[in-house]
Amino acid sequence: MTRPVLALTVGDPVGIGPEITLATLAQHAGDPAHHGIAVGDLAALDRARTALGLDVELRAVSSWDTEPAGTGVVDVFDIGVLGADLPAWGQVDARAGRAAVVAIETATQAALDGAISGVVTGPINKEAIWAAGSEHLGHTEMLGALTGATEQDTMFVVRNTHQPGHHLRIFFATRHLSLRKALDKITRETQLGSIRRAAQALEIFGVPSPRLAVAAINPHGGENGAFGDEEIVHLAPAVADAQGLGLDVSGPIPADSVFHHGLTGRYDGVLSQYHDQGHIAAKTFDFDGTISVTVGLPILRTSVDHGTAFDIAGKGVADAGTMRSAYLAAVEYAPFVDGIRAAYQPDNA
Amino acid sequence: MSIPTLAVTLGDVAGIGPEITAKALLGHDDLRARCVPVVVGDEGAMRRAVSALGADPTTVRVIGSPDEATNTPGTIELLQTGPSLADVPVGELSAAAGDGAYRFVVEACRLAREGKVDGIVTPPLNKAAMHAGGHKWPGHTELLAHEFGVMNFSLVLSAGDLYFFHLTTHVSLRQAIEDITPERTRNVLDLAGAFTAALSRPDEAIGLAGLNPHAGENRLFGDEDADILAPAVEEARARGINAHGPLPADALIPAAVKGKWNMVIACYHDQGHAPFKAVYGDDGVNITVGLPVVRVSVDHGTAFDIAGQGIAREASLVLAIERAAELAPGWDHVWQTAQKTAS
Repeated sequence: MTRPVLALTVGDPVGIGPEITLATLAQHAGDPAHHGIAVGDLAALDRARTALGLDVELRAVSSWDTEPAGTGVVDVFDIGVLGADLPAWGQVDARAGRAAVVAIETATQAALDGAISGVVTGPINKEAIWAAGSEHLGHTEMLGALTGATEQDTMFVVRNTHQPGHHLRIFFATRHLSLRKALDKITRETQLGSIRRAAQALEIFGVPSPRLAVAAINPHGGENGAFGDEEIVHLAPAVADAQGLGLDVSGPIPADSVFHHGLTGRYDGVLSQYHDQGHIAAKTFDFDGTISVTVGLPILRTSVDHGTAFDIAGKGVADAGTMRSAYLAAVEYAPFVDGIRAAYQPDNA
Repeated sequence: MSIPTLAVTLGDVAGIGPEITAKALLGHDDLRARCVPVVVGDEGAMRRAVSALGADPTTVRVIGSPDEATNTPGTIELLQTGPSLADVPVGELSAAAGDGAYRFVVEACRLAREGKVDGIVTPPLNKAAMHAGGHKWPGHTELLAHEFGVMNFSLVLSAGDLYFFHLTTHVSLRQAIEDITPERTRNVLDLAGAFTAALSRPDEAIGLAGLNPHAGENRLFGDEDADILAPAVEEARARGINAHGPLPADALIPAAVKGKWNMVIACYHDQGHAPFKAVYGDDGVNITVGLPVVRVSVDHGTAFDIAGQGIAREASLVLAIERAAELAPGWDHVWQTAQKTAS
């Protein structure tokens, strides 16, 4: 396909998802280079339109290759779960949870079928999807089940406003674990695996010959063993192993300089060792919100890294900046979708 | 005190310490209205730096005691400390310069203990050089704490109105987790509370960062946040300290950098240092809270690669002197609190 088509799932329809999705698409409708389609209930998006006071037309489409109607018209792939009877804003609701799940299933299937280039997911509420009967913990588990993927990594994309064109991408050796458990999990072997997956992801997502840096665990990188030995025992040997495989990997590099160097262009990606290390760096630098790309799925998927914000849903005040960034990231990565599909087919894993 | 007298140690004389000291004291006359800076260092190294900048080396005046300082703009008043370092090569790691840097700090501490100076400002020393000089301290701050016999202190990074306290610093991450005890957390909360009072901002909110992802998320990711940090915050609030948390570090710290919090307590070195350095580079300062006098350090290294070329920027040192001058008058309250909470 020449012009990428992206599906934007609205997430939980009683959260801020419909508003930020609609605001994003309204801004980009009429751009001939890409076509975003909201996936959700038409009525839910209509309610968001009222909340935002936006002067746009909503058009229900039932085919992903519908020609866009141009400026002022936002296309909606109507999933028809809620009908006209919408649950109240900002409250956990089983029907809203069901709508969130169906939107993800619909968009994921379209991506698996090759009918669209990728999926951008709005925020969902765990309790609502559980109330709807889903047993998944969140998007990750749901997408794993829908696509057959068994290993997913998160890649954060940080745009440097001072250096247009260069993006810092942050990967994680560990993520949702206590700090103690995270440290226990990092060995020479697991680290080499993390390095290889990160380097592979950079290539697949459009960086030929990527330069990857590995963040240290301890202050000053352990200062030759004075403050911890993980660098000596695990990280440096893993970096050497990776270099032996021909990868351009540096490190371990102290955390108080490696992210900065990544941002200013010395590296294409940084492997962070634990959740807060990468999260703090990304969110400190990225004034437009942190964009998360899921690596390991046979489809392109980007997402916002914030929640449903039930407290402000329906008030027309939610900031759509991160959703817009996630959408534009999907547009940017759309040319690589064939490579993504080929590399991460479950059969190939 | 009318205006505080500050000891400015020269740091490692093979590094950029002498030239940034010369630039700060000869190029910023407005500092003289706020403090009396007295250099604790080496006359030869100081004169060499002044000459290299094209200034008159006789602007360096050796005095015998801080109370002899005239605080005349355009002069550098210096206490000669130990043997001459005039021949130490610039830009190279040397045991002599490392030993000198150590002695300058020890002398500044002695002057502070005797009440002759009201604060200490420290340009960078080189840890490897100090070790080569026979003084095996893990860092500047630890040496100062030893000289004052203090156990309860916190390293605080600061830029603008932002202050990052640290529960732990120069230990492995595993050791940092062990060192985050109820006592340590309570002590640093009290230090932060006393510090905000010294800044005349007693109601300033103090945010404590969580240790684990999402501050543990109700024990899903570790128990330390619930078992240690949360009770310490509750107790601090009961003592009248406007403390909050533990808050997810990836929310609190970026929010602080964006101006929404001024007082933050980080659990470990990189949690505070990594975002701070990324945003402020070398434009921050490092304050030791818990010593009997205020101590402010530049937040950069000795930069041997550019030492002697006259291109090193003095902004961080000027900021450090300004901060020390600002904080010295209210420091007694911080010190009293530090002593009260010492366990």
